[in-house]
Amino acid sequence: MRTISVRAAMARGAGFLGFWLLLIGPNPADLVAGLCAAAAATWTSLRLLPPGDGRLRYAALARLALRFGQESIMGGADVARRALSVRLPLRPGFIVYPVRLPPGPACNTFGALTSVLPGTLPAGVDDHGALLYHCLDVEQPVAVQLAIDEGLLIRALGGTHDDT
Amino acid sequence: MSLVLDIFTIVAVSAGAFFFLAGTVGLLRFPDTLTRLHALTKADNLGLGLVVMGLLPQAEQPFAVIKLIAIWLFALLAGATVGQLMARAARRERPTP
Amino acid sequence: MTIPDFLLAAAVFVLAMVALGLVRILRGPEEADRMMATQLFGTGGIAALLLLGVATQAKAVLDVALTLALLAAFASVAFARSASSSKGDDPKETSRQ
Repeated sequence: MRTISVRAAMARGAGFLGFWLLLIGPNPADLVAGLCAAAAATWTSLRLLPPGDGRLRYAALARLALRFGQESIMGGADVARRALSVRLPLRPGFIVYPVRLPPGPACNTFGALTSVLPGTLPAGVDDHGALLYHCLDVEQPVAVQLAIDEGLLIRALGGTHDDT
Repeated sequence: MSLVLDIFTIVAVSAGAFFFLAGTVGLLRFPDTLTRLHALTKADNLGLGLVVMGLLPQAEQPFAVIKLIAIWLFALLAGATVGQLMARAARRERPTP
Repeated sequence: MTIPDFLLAAAVFVLAMVALGLVRILRGPEEADRMMATQLFGTGGIAALLLLGVATQAKAVLDVALTLALLAAFASVAFARSASSSKGDDPKETSRQ
């Protein structure tokens, strides 16, 4: 824990303080509370999520955010269509997706990202470390979509292993 | 200009309300816990997003806009994380082959 | 019909959807079904509060919505943690969180 760079801590602290100011408003009398809150938040975040060595690539991150938005609209529309259809077209089941990302924050981010994909919901890992997805319709090409998302996430995190 | 913004508000908020309706219908009609979780997380998150988007032009000061967006991001983050955690818990309660 | 009236009507509609969803949740049958109530309030309740807050220009309501967003997320995560640890299987999976 001692080796955490001062730069990373300062950057996070400034980010938290900025967010606090946005929420509360820039009143000099409140600033002491804001500084305390930002310091506590920085300490917590450095403990729970130490800074990694990979560098974020912002262009890939922006593409990922755009895709996340599109997917959440499609996912919501897909659920609405199935729920309001008279025949209730569901073929629920599980698929196994062998994830390439290592277990940890990156893999958890992948789970959160893909939980908005149409018809899929990550539901844990199996014995071999592959992700289990619950699907509303197991006949949809879910794995293909998941692979696209994973490739984008690996690039956004600056990973180099089998980058396609 | 304000008429255009008002129409945007009405369209976006109505669309958001529609997705809340769809989410509730799914919650009532879907057959098991995991499929109901789909309905809840996906449709309601989109509904909240559309409601927030529709409210943005009606906010009076810039701080309210920022706060609305922050609330939306929090709810989005919470929904995406909680959805998968609850799916894990539900899968354990009744193991599916 | 003015914009605040429309927003109030939308808030009532979304609240009605949340109430309908709660009926389903009260029937259960599993614990995960019941915990979906927090998620339902976490999105539907926040949407209704935001609509109310902007319609009446009551700024404090936005803070209430922000707090609700955080609390709903914490409650659901706490449930998911307790559900997985009480079953006691697969410690690897819980430690991944």
